[in-house]
Amino acid sequence: MNAIDLNTADIGSSLPEVTFGPISRATLALYAGASGDHNPAHIDIDFARNAGLPDVFAHGMLSFGVLTRVVTQWAGVAALREFGARFVSITQVHDKISCKATIIERFEAGGETRLRLAVVATAQDGRETLNGDAVVALA
Amino acid sequence: MDATTARKGIFDRSTKGTQIEPVKVLVERGRIRFFSQVLGQTDPIHFDLDAARAAGHPDLVAPPSFFMVIEAAANEERKRLGITTAQELVRVDYRYLLHGEERYFYEAPIYAGDEVEIGIVITDFYDKKGGAMEFVTFESRIVHPERGLLVRSQRSLLHRLPEPRS
Repeated sequence: MNAIDLNTADIGSSLPEVTFGPISRATLALYAGASGDHNPAHIDIDFARNAGLPDVFAHGMLSFGVLTRVVTQWAGVAALREFGARFVSITQVHDKISCKATIIERFEAGGETRLRLAVVATAQDGRETLNGDAVVALA
Repeated sequence: MDATTARKGIFDRSTKGTQIEPVKVLVERGRIRFFSQVLGQTDPIHFDLDAARAAGHPDLVAPPSFFMVIEAAANEERKRLGITTAQELVRVDYRYLLHGEERYFYEAPIYAGDEVEIGIVITDFYDKKGGAMEFVTFESRIVHPERGLLVRSQRSLLHRLPEPRS
């Protein structure tokens, strides 16, 4: 059961958190293969070092995909109308990500009642990695 | 003079407004399952066919960020067909590349077995931090031949430009 009912949820309510990681190099290799994003900066340390980086770093879209789960595991993917996020800092190898969402607005659009949620991903040291917002439709 | 103003941009800004030719991509069931598994998706409609059908879907449902998979597959298809990709056109340099922002507008679900068409427009270029970062923005649409527009995306990529060599 959802901890918060979609139709009676109050502005300011937070959704159940989703955690992910620590992100291993194996996870990055699997995400590269699964997504088709073969940018070597995420999977090839030789490439990363030649580019002046200390190490490979995680795909932003890996965290983005995990961040969407906070909303869809609560509202269902069919209710999702919009999801957007800015990549505000780099997610490093071994980071453990916490994903949170808070209801910030209730509004009418497209002939239905919708909720807007603020979404944020942070690493274990409190560093914000992604922030953005999602829109879901009420049943 | 601010040292950052001397940094030289990499993106080819003359490509602003270019529409990349749409190509068709087949959404594969195994790919939805694999992608969902890596992200730790818990809703079985993304990996269990019986659960998806029991929930009223014709097949596995693509999770929200599956859009990227379709775009990457479209780029592979363009390379196969000899069509220049958006990344090639704007001259992405992966040594300096970061993702700026990603936003999706969902109109209808994407299912395994769908053959969808995806086209991209290069919409804008701009600078930040005194020219130390340069951005490019894209808009894409995934369209199904019968069900119409399924998802729209807006995205920005950026180069962290290297210090000029003296």
